[in-house]
Amino acid sequence: MAVSWRAVVLAALGAIPVLLVPQYAVVLGWALVVLLVVLVDLSLAASPRDVVVRRTVPASVRLTQPTSSSLVVTNTGARRLRGVVRDAWQPSAGATSNRHRVSLPAGESARLVTPLLPTRRGDRAADRVTVRSFGPMGMAARQLSADVPGRLRVLPEFASRRHLPSRLARLREMDGRAAVQVRGQGTEFDSLREYVIGDDVRSIDWRATARRSEVVVRTWRPERDRRVLIVLDTSRTAAARIGELPRVDAAIEAALLLAALASHAGDRVDLIAHDRRVRAQVARAAGPRLLPALADALAPVDPTLVEMDWPATISAIDQRLSQRSLVVLLTALEPAAVSHGLLPVVAPLAHDHTVVLASVADPEVAELATSRGSAAEVYDAAAAERTELERAAVTLRLRRYGVEVVDALPDDLAPRLADTYLALKAAGRL
Amino acid sequence: MSQTTSEPVRLGGEPPRSVAGRRWRRWRLPVLIGALLLTAALLAALIQPQVSREPLAVDNPGSTGVRALAQVLGDQGVVVHEVQTTADAVALAQPGTTLAIVGSLLLTDADLDQLARTGADLVVIDGDSYALDVLTDGQVAETWAPSAQLRSANCDDPDATAAELVSDLVYSVTLTGGSGQLCFTATNDPQTGGYAVVEAGGRTVRVLADSTILTNGSVTEQGNAALGLRMLGHHDHLIWFRPSLLGTGTSEGSATGFANLPPWAGPFAALLGLVVLVAAVWRGRALGRVVSEPLPVTVRAAETTRGRGRLYRRARSRGHAAAALRAAVARRTAVRLGLPASADAPTMIEAVASATGRPTHDVAGLLYGPPPSDDAELLVLTRALDQLESEVHRT
Repeated sequence: MAVSWRAVVLAALGAIPVLLVPQYAVVLGWALVVLLVVLVDLSLAASPRDVVVRRTVPASVRLTQPTSSSLVVTNTGARRLRGVVRDAWQPSAGATSNRHRVSLPAGESARLVTPLLPTRRGDRAADRVTVRSFGPMGMAARQLSADVPGRLRVLPEFASRRHLPSRLARLREMDGRAAVQVRGQGTEFDSLREYVIGDDVRSIDWRATARRSEVVVRTWRPERDRRVLIVLDTSRTAAARIGELPRVDAAIEAALLLAALASHAGDRVDLIAHDRRVRAQVARAAGPRLLPALADALAPVDPTLVEMDWPATISAIDQRLSQRSLVVLLTALEPAAVSHGLLPVVAPLAHDHTVVLASVADPEVAELATSRGSAAEVYDAAAAERTELERAAVTLRLRRYGVEVVDALPDDLAPRLADTYLALKAAGRL
Repeated sequence: MSQTTSEPVRLGGEPPRSVAGRRWRRWRLPVLIGALLLTAALLAALIQPQVSREPLAVDNPGSTGVRALAQVLGDQGVVVHEVQTTADAVALAQPGTTLAIVGSLLLTDADLDQLARTGADLVVIDGDSYALDVLTDGQVAETWAPSAQLRSANCDDPDATAAELVSDLVYSVTLTGGSGQLCFTATNDPQTGGYAVVEAGGRTVRVLADSTILTNGSVTEQGNAALGLRMLGHHDHLIWFRPSLLGTGTSEGSATGFANLPPWAGPFAALLGLVVLVAAVWRGRALGRVVSEPLPVTVRAAETTRGRGRLYRRARSRGHAAAALRAAVARRTAVRLGLPASADAPTMIEAVASATGRPTHDVAGLLYGPPPSDDAELLVLTRALDQLESEVHRT
């Protein structure tokens, strides 16, 4: 039950009789009048029990994209339903104007659309639908809430896709290039074409030139159908916030850009998210199905506050890979975590596969390192420098095992990882 | 875009199948209202007790009350009016009635004047000296002479002689003039007594020094009841005036704040309370519950670094801080100058000295010198290292 402002006004109108006959009995009488009016209005209100609600939500939406959830409200009772319907969502679903006035004759339906603008990645759940049904005087209302299940999967924003066109252009440049400098065991013979000035003379195919009147060069295309496995660390280090977002969000952006680029380049991309067990995985999705599958798998991934189990992760990697592949570890270059967890077990992995470790650096540490204001800030700067030195030492040890290390700020990580991939591809090291 | 549509949900749930459930649904509201009314009635009965707990109140059945005396007086045909304000007492007190003033400490001069002007016979119980002086024209005064023993009448007053003996009394009165009777005198001091009867202003004024003998707890002892009943039962109407703080002091100067308010103020305040109550119900009922957000942890990644900085600071560990800063500068300049990371100190100093044109001992002091001894030196060293690094990077 609920009352409206009209009931308050009605109670306040009692001032007139009370001023005319200043006695407590009049106040009591007026209170009874208000109670009676409220009860009569309440008994004439349509029952919210007879309201049937059906919810329609889009299955998924990309972060920062507006969408909407719609409720079809049907009044199956015998009276006209006047009142308010609230479509409650989690705050991060961004349901701002979710209260709808309705006036439904008996037996009719209305569609109420609640705009949603999600502010966080993951599964956003709808809460209860509340119906408040006022009586004909609008004094008092009956109110009822019920769960009407609804779930909106908010996919990662993939803001790094703006870097994709330039990287695809570089990929096309690699295609058909006379590839002497980049010739390696992985480059594949593509075709023969006429020599143009600027081509490396070492790529001239003399046998083909002998058969024809002009000079012919061999061209190469980048290797195709290699395997790329992206390993996303969802342990405690991924939970730390850098700027406004946890580290794992920057890692997801990088993973999506790399996957988009690699699938265009004709490579097969798989992914696992792992801390002490596999949290999410995408396997054998190719072509246009890859990115939606990745986004869907990564949307609900949240970091857990446990230590990364690197031996288990590496055995999970080994299960999925049979041939030499590119393994991208999206983790944090935390000196303690890496030197105790990853370093002891990375050697066999780096021997069997090409390993890239991509880490999200913290701009705050760099800022701390240059602060010179007071003695206190100099201590902070010294601590930041010490952290940097330890990171450098760990990076050095990883590189000795043959692991490529990409350490970049959150916004730069995705393009830097894509560039590293392109460089490895051009060098035929996949 | 693909969409998912939920099953239709009836807000009232499925209608209950059992007969009991349907019956409960139908009778729920009346039963609820009935229970509410019953609770309200019970509460009202609890809030307004039928008996008083105040001492010497005629409806107090406890040991300090006087209900027993009042009921017996009532049975004998005496109508007992209990009043608490001077105005009520004066209005009821006519010639041919008894006005009993129980405790006079709260009465002001104006009150006493008004009370003295009524034509009623007075019974002053627990009166203080000033009130006795005014009401008896100065014939009776209060004294204090306790004697823990029974007292006999010792006078000619018919009420006192009928009672013969009363319990011991703490307070006493004495006659200071006139031709009154002093009864129940103390054995060790015949000038003090527990009860006095005088004629003043054309009516009889009876003074009882101690109210204890009238209370429920001791009225049954000795002749207490006889004295009380006779003393108070001379007329058909007894006005039992028990002064209260709000009911006395009717003169304008000492009027309380409530008396100045217009008559509609009380009802108006009650109405205001009603409006506030309805407004509270209006604002207090939320449209559905509050939805919570499962938030992720919010630990800043740089927190560990800051923590280490704080540790350095608290331990005044300038050596460690300076070593970290020097090592960082050395590493960066080594990269810049193309030296291997494993380069030893002399090589490093040589390379930096030749790159910047500084003397070698200067560079050695900066990069490998002793740790600073205080915070000021640490600051100086930091600035010098920055300077050195910028020189290397300029070349």
